Amino acid sequence: MHFAQDGITMEGKKENILARVRQQVPALSSKMNGEPLVYLDNAATTQKPVQVLDFLSDALKNRNANVHRSMYELSDRSTSAYEGARERVRRFINAPSRENVIFTSGTTASVNLVASCFCSKFVGKGDVILIEADSHHSNIVPWQLAAERAGASIKVIPTDVMTGSGRSGRLDLEGLDGLLSDNVKMVAVTQISNITGLRNPVSQIISAAHSKGIAVLVDGAQGIVHEKVDVQAMDCDFYAFSAHKIYGATGVGVLYGKKELLEAIPPYMGGGDMVETVTYDKTTYASLPLKFEAGTPNFIGAASLTPALDFAEYLRNGEVGEALGSEEERIVSYMMDKLDTPGIEVYGKPDSICGKSPIFTFNIESINAGDLAQLLDKMGIAVRSGMMCAEPLLNTFGAVSALRASFAPYNTLEEAETFVRCLERARTMLS
Amino acid sequence: MTIKETEQQIVEEFSLFDNWMDKYQYIIDLGKSMPVIDEAGKKDANLIKGCQSRVWLDCREEGGKLYFSADSDAIITKGIISLLIRVYDGHTPDEIIESEIDFIDTIGLRSNLSPTRANGLVSMMKQIKLYAVAFKEKEKEAAENKYSVEDVQKNVIRALKQVFDPEIPVNVYDLGLIYEIKVGEDRNVFIKMTMTSPTCPLAEDVVNDVNNAVSDAPGVKGVQIELTFEPEWDESRMSEEARLELGLM
Repeated sequence: MHFAQDGITMEGKKENILARVRQQVPALSSKMNGEPLVYLDNAATTQKPVQVLDFLSDALKNRNANVHRSMYELSDRSTSAYEGARERVRRFINAPSRENVIFTSGTTASVNLVASCFCSKFVGKGDVILIEADSHHSNIVPWQLAAERAGASIKVIPTDVMTGSGRSGRLDLEGLDGLLSDNVKMVAVTQISNITGLRNPVSQIISAAHSKGIAVLVDGAQGIVHEKVDVQAMDCDFYAFSAHKIYGATGVGVLYGKKELLEAIPPYMGGGDMVETVTYDKTTYASLPLKFEAGTPNFIGAASLTPALDFAEYLRNGEVGEALGSEEERIVSYMMDKLDTPGIEVYGKPDSICGKSPIFTFNIESINAGDLAQLLDKMGIAVRSGMMCAEPLLNTFGAVSALRASFAPYNTLEEAETFVRCLERARTMLS
Repeated sequence: MTIKETEQQIVEEFSLFDNWMDKYQYIIDLGKSMPVIDEAGKKDANLIKGCQSRVWLDCREEGGKLYFSADSDAIITKGIISLLIRVYDGHTPDEIIESEIDFIDTIGLRSNLSPTRANGLVSMMKQIKLYAVAFKEKEKEAAENKYSVEDVQKNVIRALKQVFDPEIPVNVYDLGLIYEIKVGEDRNVFIKMTMTSPTCPLAEDVVNDVNNAVSDAPGVKGVQIELTFEPEWDESRMSEEARLELGLM
């Protein structure tokens, strides 16, 4: 009796916390097609809290001046906000110094930077770049381009589907040691796959690669939202993520790199701000991190990472973190349970090593994912259909498209229930 | 029923539903009840790309009219195609090419589709019109081959006799303005012609008239016209009939 009452108060408290969090993200209480919006495309981009919205508007009103260039008050304010955000990022991922944190235009740009500059310095004819089968196109194509330029080749860490050992979509690391041959110069991994939602054993891959002196880049586009990231503990050589997937502005990304590597590789683009002295013949480059920030950066968008990461941390710590964490666990087990039914195949099933983040990609037998998404949209539910920029992985499952529902920490179990109810309705209509 | 009438019928059907879930249910049912395309029609050449789903569209001609069949791995897409087919089926290529259909906007379908799907719809309509254009070309080609080179030559002359000089009431052929007519094996026609005077202000109109008349002549595929003033035209080039006509004889 006493227990039950306690349970009720706990539930009530959690609901209050969830409501308080959701109030801070205005888009979540909007309507779509006459229905309350259930936004489940967070792996594509997240909705913004009012702190970020206010910050952006205030920055444009009161702090809009180019950074690192001038001697006036307005420019100083802008530069402090920009460099302040760099410090905020440093703290969020526990990078040793601001020199390790480079602002780019997104995860894609961060990966391209490394693929281009690292490979031009360290990858040559006959070398190998190892990528993961569950990668986003952004962690495949840049390496293919770089490999082609260097005369190197691409090899793939397979999933169990590819090795024939299962159909879970988990990476099959049985052959990893064999794949990490002497001529492998880089391993590009994905912390959490945007299709399977599985938390890959990144640390295991990193230590295997490092034991052979091979560098590792981690695509953290999804991982930054669903994992607590400590780049020093992880010991990755590069880590990439986008601001807009973690409540910040679009058009901004981060590249973390180990200092000795960032110093060793050549600059990416040439232009303003990345130089020390320029003559018509020769230029010496600015020191880190500006060496990789040619041209006027997206200084307002980048600065929005300060309130965005504050919000992310608020969602993660204390009683809010506890409430949201337990809600997320319930969402994952509810969804996996409901999707575990005949005629539905989920791409990405967890085990004791690979945990599941709240990203669910699946197909319903003989029903087109686009049809489902379209009907769900009419019921107020925003989900993604198509290839999700991971064509090769979907193909290994024999799929040409799929449906993906991806939750953020601000989503609720109630929304998961609405999703499942509407999915059933759409399924009935279409079969 | 004309294309417009079928469109109107569809608009009325959709006005019976008051919410979009019901409209979608109707489209889905249409998709499900659409006759299945045979595997031969599902070849790559019939595949329309650029949608989230795959669409195959096949077309056949019977008695100068076009009939379509289609398939898709998405039922909603299939339902929408069945509406398009209902509108276009059994019409001549010309009717299809000239039609401007707007029922998709009228029933609000376009604004209720995702942009990717709406683009797919546009490419389906484009494909249907392309089929119509292709069949028209084919028809024309078939007709052209019915005429021998000599026939075409005669047809061209007959056509030229319908084009009149703007100042003299005699056709350009009997006036002697046509210096050369060459009909190729491919039924392309080359014409070398002149004007009564190099300063003729209406030269362009006359050349256009000749071009149009010859293009429409049975069996002609294409026309190329060369305007020349070497040698200069004079009255001796007129035919007897022309001279009689003008009272010069």
